[in-house]
Amino acid sequence: MSADLPAPSQARGVIGLVASACTSCMICVRECPTWCITLDSHTEQVDEPGARRPRSVNVLDAFAIDYGLCMYCGICVEVCPFEALFWSPEYEYSEVRIADLLHDKTRLGQWFETVPDFEPLEAGSEVKVKKVPR
Amino acid sequence: MRTVDAGAWREEWAAARAAGAHYFDFLTAVDRGDRLEVVAHAVDLGTMDRVLLGTSVPTRGGRLDSISPLFAGAAWHEREAAEMFGITFAGHPDPRPLLLRASEGAPPLLKSTVLAARVAVAWPGAAEPEVRDDGRRTGNPSRRRQRPPGAPDDWLEEGP
Amino acid sequence: MDAPVAAGRYRLADDPEVCIVLASVGLACCALEVDSAIRTGVLVPERGATEARHTVLLVSGTVTDALAPAVVRIASQLPQPVSVVSFGACASTGGPYWDAPTVTKGIDQLLPVSTYVPGCPPRPEALVAALLGAVGAARP
Repeated sequence: MSADLPAPSQARGVIGLVASACTSCMICVRECPTWCITLDSHTEQVDEPGARRPRSVNVLDAFAIDYGLCMYCGICVEVCPFEALFWSPEYEYSEVRIADLLHDKTRLGQWFETVPDFEPLEAGSEVKVKKVPR
Repeated sequence: MRTVDAGAWREEWAAARAAGAHYFDFLTAVDRGDRLEVVAHAVDLGTMDRVLLGTSVPTRGGRLDSISPLFAGAAWHEREAAEMFGITFAGHPDPRPLLLRASEGAPPLLKSTVLAARVAVAWPGAAEPEVRDDGRRTGNPSRRRQRPPGAPDDWLEEGP
Repeated sequence: MDAPVAAGRYRLADDPEVCIVLASVGLACCALEVDSAIRTGVLVPERGATEARHTVLLVSGTVTDALAPAVVRIASQLPQPVSVVSFGACASTGGPYWDAPTVTKGIDQLLPVSTYVPGCPPRPEALVAALLGAVGAARP
């Protein structure tokens, strides 16, 4: 982002992913109006000491957002029950090839590093429970 | 809104205009499933009295008398409603399509009109973690398979 | 039918060496962001005699199949070569209208695009980097 042209911290510039928080529940993928999110995952059986049966765990293999198609509505960020998606105000990621606007799990994780803390609410506002995980 | 018979549509509007509602505001339609609801609004600018009339026509092959001979301003609204909902406005002075080309298929604002892209494009939401690459389920077999929103089952290659 | 188009010579505030002919085809709300970029000084109108060495066709907004031929015609009428900047999701892929039967799914189906600017809409400032990129790609 140009230093002399900072975007407001809450600007909808790009979406960052906390892959470790994602449970592959598919809600964001299914709610996306432009079908621009793709997610691949598989289940693994995890044996836990003391448990009668192994527990099924979803493992996230791939997660990508196509920013050529994304309409920046933020529904995915809103519906995520596990707080894995966050807005970053970064906006300079034009590409020469449209295929490069498909940002994968790694790239989305890098975007998360640019997510600023939420601004404090005005006095008297309802307290927001959600916090940017550090 | 006052609902009137489709057969009395033009008569009712002629009476409203004769009573002073000269300013035509809008005409549009709503797809209610088996019927199309047509709504129009006009205003008497002297008294600001408003006239809001509604009627209904069949969703397929609906016909209604044009009120464009009464209100010149209704002509574009009726052309739009005609191409978007497939209503025929009998006696319209200029029934050419307004925004779409005549070749562009089913009336786009009917709820039965399928957006072909929603069928042709693979919906990313169909993927589920408990389905393996070979299509076999490892998780709960009773869970209903997810269908792409806006794509009717009989348009999709595999059944539900 | 002609598309709404505004053409003029501009310098980039970030790189005043660069003087471009910018033809802006504003077809939907993204055009307001382009306008904003011009009005806030990101792009500076060039009133001197400097010859512009680059031509940029900036397509912002929803390209419909009905209007697409007009956009192609504008591109053909500009000083060549033309760098096409696709500004926003609609111009790049159809964006929110990806499923609409009347919308062109990206201007790149008709014209080679130099730079795709993501956003719905992109910030006005995002145009600067995109223009520098487009001009850079066109430099000999």
